This record gives sequence, structure tokens and C-alpha cells, in this order.
Amino acid sequence: MKKKMTFKEFLFIVPLLVIIAVFSIWPILTSFSYTFFDYQLNNAQKSKLSFSGSFSADNFKENSEYIKIFLNDDAAVAAKDGAAAKDFAAALSDTEAYTKRFSALQSGKISAQQSSDFTAATAGLQAEVEALYKNHPNAEYANAESLPKIFEEINKAIAPSNFIGLQGYQKIFSDSRLFAALGHTVYFTLISVFIEFILGLGLALVMNRAIRGIGIIRANALIPWAIPTAVSALIWSYLYDGSNGIISHIFAEMGLISEPGAMLLTGPGAMSATILTDVWKTTPYMALLLLAGLQVIDKGLYESSAIDGANRIQTFFKITLPLLKPSILVAVLFRMLDAFRVYDLIAVLTGGGPGGSTETLSVYAYKTMFSQTNFGYGAVVVMFMFVCVLVIAALFVKVLGANILSSD
Amino acid sequence: MMKKAENTIFYLVTAVFLVIILFPFFWILITSFKPSSEIFGAGAFRVFSDHSTLRNYGAVLTGKNILSSIKNSLVVSATTTLYVIVVATMAAYAISRFHFRFKNILLGLILVISMFPQMIIVGPVFNLFTSLHWTNSYFIVLPYSTITIPMAVWIMVAHFGKIPLSIEESARIDGASAFRTLWSVVFPLAAPGVFTTAIITFIAAWNEYLLTATLNTEISMQTVPVAISFLRTQFQILWGEVAAATVIVTIPTMIIVLIFQKRIVSGLVSGAVKE
Repeated sequence: MKKKMTFKEFLFIVPLLVIIAVFSIWPILTSFSYTFFDYQLNNAQKSKLSFSGSFSADNFKENSEYIKIFLNDDAAVAAKDGAAAKDFAAALSDTEAYTKRFSALQSGKISAQQSSDFTAATAGLQAEVEALYKNHPNAEYANAESLPKIFEEINKAIAPSNFIGLQGYQKIFSDSRLFAALGHTVYFTLISVFIEFILGLGLALVMNRAIRGIGIIRANALIPWAIPTAVSALIWSYLYDGSNGIISHIFAEMGLISEPGAMLLTGPGAMSATILTDVWKTTPYMALLLLAGLQVIDKGLYESSAIDGANRIQTFFKITLPLLKPSILVAVLFRMLDAFRVYDLIAVLTGGGPGGSTETLSVYAYKTMFSQTNFGYGAVVVMFMFVCVLVIAALFVKVLGANILSSD
Repeated sequence: MMKKAENTIFYLVTAVFLVIILFPFFWILITSFKPSSEIFGAGAFRVFSDHSTLRNYGAVLTGKNILSSIKNSLVVSATTTLYVIVVATMAAYAISRFHFRFKNILLGLILVISMFPQMIIVGPVFNLFTSLHWTNSYFIVLPYSTITIPMAVWIMVAHFGKIPLSIEESARIDGASAFRTLWSVVFPLAAPGVFTTAIITFIAAWNEYLLTATLNTEISMQTVPVAISFLRTQFQILWGEVAAATVIVTIPTMIIVLIFQKRIVSGLVSGAVKE
């Protein structure tokens, strides 16, 4: 009989809840929030998530100071010319008023009203200053050229809102690179899992009959699984190397590829190389999962079917396969999810190349986030992936009846 | 007659399987002893070298940060294993022993976490670590939890399910608290499961690539998989040294696997096989 949980026992799961909340739930929700912003780390105006605009007091202080200094310089030159001197004095006092008006504004969020006030006031002052130089042309003014640039800078004190709503998701539909990546991912997943399943099942059937040597087989089967994917990808990239790679050499001798360089330097070659490496790494793992499923099938069933005169093939399709189905579904589902998320293998083996021909969704998302520093759209790509993963899982559970949640 | 043919097939399949599995390692091993003159060019496909050398090992061990990456990997994987085991054991015990309302939601959540693309947490965690100045530090073990915790909880729940309740009930009747029961009655019984979970968690942490490559970019803080993958771009074509480094970091894993193969397999299949 199981006890009802009291507060004291609840403490047992608190650490788990905290860790999941901080390092799984919070990042997922945060990633989700990124998708609604044009969020780019290396762009000063877009490097924060902001609904309303934001204001940089430092920028404002620095550049308004420059305007004053520059005007002062030229005002000294203009002192001889009465009309010009008067206009310079007016411009200077307007600059003073402008500086004073916004000097209280703190860095950070500002309201839409403040934002439009600032833009209007800056534009007004800029028009006045530009008119000043136009009305009093004098080659001796040193700053006629630089002042417009200063105004350009000071305008950036206001970063507009980078909230874009669903536009990030809209971009998906016109993003051919994303669909190419989806195609590569689906192709990689289906082909590699299919081969792994067929070979794994065969291997499991053989291992199930093993009388001696099961330990050796099992240990060897575990080695590719236990070696870091990044390391095995590197090993294979050496074997596939165009000039010194033994596997490329053997394949070329066998006539499978036209020349040794084809494995990593052509699109189809690189995709096959990636799939082959994945098959090498995970077939044994698949075999072990299926073998465990085979071992729980009641041996008596085979004996009675033998007495009834069933042959091997009948036994396989009428007994083994149906009884193994739950194990198969779970193993294939988990392998598919893994394959769909593949990153390490491709990042190290091909880097997504050549020419993007092995770029999967993970690789594309990572490049978008960390090479282009576009966290906003990168998050959109990741969300797209997440939805695909959920669809795959739902298909297995609802349509095929995989039972992955088997606790009371 | 039938039996004999069957045996032949069995040995043949096994032999082919072993050759395919082991060939890449074998080739890396012989490459690591070759001088570069025989890695490139005409000698590249010869199995045995005329001038076997240990120079590659010398170069890797003295200069290329492999030793520091091994140290980092050991620290990071051991720390991860330790806290993941504690957290997962406690939670799995509660999940398998007590009724509570959101149990299925919690299990479903753990399952979803094990399914979502790891890529989803990288961006926010990168920002978090940057703002806390945690990049290039051992704090990396904290986000490792997303890849290790679901599996650990899963294996432990399956394992606790196999331990009969009656033992604990008698402990309770004798007046032991829940924690006391866990510590001195259940834990010793669960030790094999804990051990299995520990090995699998350790290997998962040891193999982690994405987070370390992103958060610990300084060479001195890299772990083994990242350091090895960087060797390639670092010295392009020095395959001899790459091979030596690979051999050095692969041998410990192989030994662990050979010793604990039975436990690892039982752990791996405990979540996947319906009995």
C-alpha cells in the first residue's frame, strides 16, 4: 500500500523541481520569449528585449556635449560676423535647453511619449543647426561636416522597441534554408533509424541465440555508444579523408564512390558519411535495447509453436514481432528523437557542409544564434524543431500506441 | 546438421560485427604510432609501420592541453554524477513510494525534457552565464542536469519499482522516518541501481559537447570532447597527434565499459523495456 505524500515527503522532490525549473523550464520559456523579438546580440540597438523603446543616457550626455563644443568652436569663428554670431548664440542656447530637457532621463525603458518627444526635439535642433550653417556659409567653420554625424549618433540614444510579435514565425515560410535543413534532418533521421532498426533487429536475434561470448559482444556493442560523439566523428573524418582516409580508399577501390575525395567533398557523399557514422555508433545500442525485449518473451511460446509445426518465418512474424512491438516502438521513437536533434556528429564531421548539404535544423539553429548572433530567429528555428519533435512523439504514442509512460 | 549451419552463421555475423565495430579504433591505434611520413602519401594505407614511433604521444602529452582537458572532464563529470545521483534518487524514491496529485504530470514533464532539443536551452543559458560571469568555469555542471537528470530519474524509478514495499513497511512500523527509511533500508537495497545510474550519468556528462563548446570557450576550461574536436582545426593535418590524443582519452572509457558492461546495459534498457 502506498502512502499519501505529506509535506515532509514532498521535500524529497524539491531539489528535482528546483533544478528542472531553473535549467529546463526557465530556459524553454525564455527561448520562447526570444521568438517575439528581433533580438541580435551584436547590434547595440537590438541586444535587449524591449517592448517599449529604451534610452541610453550615456550616449545622450556624450553627444549633446559634443554638439555644444562643436558649436562653441564655430561660434568663436563667427564672432566677427554679427548676424552669424547672433544665430550661433541662439543655437547654443537651444542646445542648452535641449540638453537640460532630457538630462533627467534615466537609461532604460522609456514611454512612447518620451520617445517621440526626444525624436522630435532632436530633429528640431538638427534642422536649426543645419539651417545655421546653410545661411552663413564660411569655409572657416570646422564642424559643418561633423555636426550632422553627431546628430546621427545622438538619435541612437533611443533604441526603438524590437518587439516583432509573430513576424519571426512568419519568416519561417519564406526561409528556404530552414526548409532545406528540415529536409536534411528528415532524410538523415529516416534513413539512419531505418538502417539501424533492421541491422539492430538482426543483431539482436543473433545475440539472443548466443550461448557463449555474449559478454564480449555486449562490451563491444557498448563501446561506440560510450565514446563521445565528437570523438567518434573526428575518428571517422580521418577515415573518410580524401587523400589519407582508409575508408574512402576502400570505397573507391570497391567502386562505391568515384574518387576518394567524394566522401566529404560532395553533398551526397557527406550525407552518406554522416549516416554511416551514425549507423556505426547506434546500431549496437539499438540491438541491445531490442535484445532486452527479446529476452522477456516467454520461451514456452516458441516451444508450443514448434510443436504445432510452425516454421521459423511464421514464428518470427506471429510471435516474435508482435511481442517485441512495445520494445521496438520505444527504441525506434527514442532513436528518432535523438537523430532528429543531431548536432555533435555533424558539427564535428562536416560542419554542415559541403555547401550546406548536411546542415540539419540543430546546426542551422546554432549557426543562427552563435555565428550570426541572431538569438531571436535562432529561437524561432529551435521552436520549430521542438514542434517537430512533439509531432513525432505524438505520432508514436497516439497512432502507433507506444507506451512510454508506464508508471502507476 | 541444422544446428551446425546455425552456429556457423552465428559466428560469422559476430565476427563481421566485431570487425566493423572495432576497425575505426584499430586504425586510429596504428595511426598513432606512425610517423607523419607514413600517415600521408604512399604509406597511408599500410597496416604496419616500418618506423613506429611514440613521438605523437609525446607531442600530445607535453603540449596540446589534452591533460588539462582530461582533468576538466573528470571534475565536471564527477561533480555532475554526484549531485544528479542525490537529486534523482530522492525524487525517484518519492515518485515510486508515495501518492501525490501531480505525479503523472511530473513524469510527463521529465519525459518531455528528455525529448526537447538541447539547443532550446543554449541561448538563455549562454545569456545567464554571461551576465553572472560563469562562462569558462565549472558552473557548467549545472545545465548538464537537463541531459542527465531525466535518464537518472527514469532508471531509479524503474529500480525502486523492483524493491518490495514490505521491507520499508516494517521499518516504518518500527518508527523510522521517511528519510531514515530511505537512508538505512532502501538505499542499501538500491545500491546496484544507484551505481548503474552513476555510470550512465558519468558517461553522459563525459560525452557532453554542445554546452561546453558554447560556454567554456577558453582552451584551459575545455573538456575532452571539445578539446579533441578542436585539435582538427588547430593543426589541420597532424592526424598522428589527433590519433594519439584519441587513443589516450578513449582507453579509460573502454575500460569502464568492459568492467561495467552488464550494469550499463541493465540501466539502458530499464526505461525502454516493458516487462
